[in-house]
Amino acid sequence: MENQKLRKQNKIWISINYLSLITGILLFYIVKNHHMPLTILWFEVGIIAVLLVSFYKAFIITKFWKMVHTSSKDLDEREMQVVLNALRYAYSIFAIICIIIIYAFAIAENQPIDVVLAGGLLYFAHILPVGIVGWNEKNN
Amino acid sequence: MKSRKIYNRIAVLRQERGLTRKELAERIGVNFQTVGYLEREEYNPSLDLAFKISECFNMPVELIFSPKPLKPLSEEIMELKNKFKGD
Repeated sequence: MENQKLRKQNKIWISINYLSLITGILLFYIVKNHHMPLTILWFEVGIIAVLLVSFYKAFIITKFWKMVHTSSKDLDEREMQVVLNALRYAYSIFAIICIIIIYAFAIAENQPIDVVLAGGLLYFAHILPVGIVGWNEKNN
Repeated sequence: MKSRKIYNRIAVLRQERGLTRKELAERIGVNFQTVGYLEREEYNPSLDLAFKISECFNMPVELIFSPKPLKPLSEEIMELKNKFKGD
C-alpha cells in the first residue's frame, strides 16, 4: 500500500517536472513571438523553481538520477538491465522529438533554434532515461 | 526473447533465517530492491546470482528455483525422502 502511494507520488513529481519544462519553454516563445511585456517572464522564475523542486523530489530523493548516471560497475544485474532498457527507449523518444522540433522550426521559417530550446532539449535528454526508470521502478 | 517465469522460495527462506531484505541483498551483492523483485518473481536472476543465493542459503539451486510452481519445502523434502526409501 505504502509502495503504491510512493510510486504514485514519483509519477506525479515526474509529470510535474516534464510539464514545468514544457511550460517554461512555451511561455518564453509566447512572450518572444507576441511581443508581450518582458515582465511576464518573471513567471519563468516560478516555473524554474517548480522544475528544480520536482527534479529534487522525483529524481534525487528517489536515487533514480544516481542509478542512471552511475558507473555500470556499481549497479547489480537487474539495475543494469533496467538502465539499459531506459536508455534505449530514451534514445528513440529523444530522436523523434528532435526531428519533430527541427521540422517545426524549418516549417515556421521565422527563427533559428535558440539557446532556450537547446538548453531545454539538453536537460530533457538527461532526464528522459531517469524519468522512464522512475516511472517503471517499484520502490521495494 | 521473452523468458519464462522462474518460481523461487527466496522470500520463505529469507524469513526462515530471520534476514531482512537489506541483509540478504548485502550477502548476495545486489540492491535491496532487487531482492524485492526476486521475491515477487518479477525478475529472473542470472545463473551467477542464482548460485550466490543458493550458497547464501546453503541449499541446492534446484530446491530454490524452478520453472514450475513450487510446493512447500516440507512437502518436497518428504517426497525426496520417500523417493530415496523406494530406491
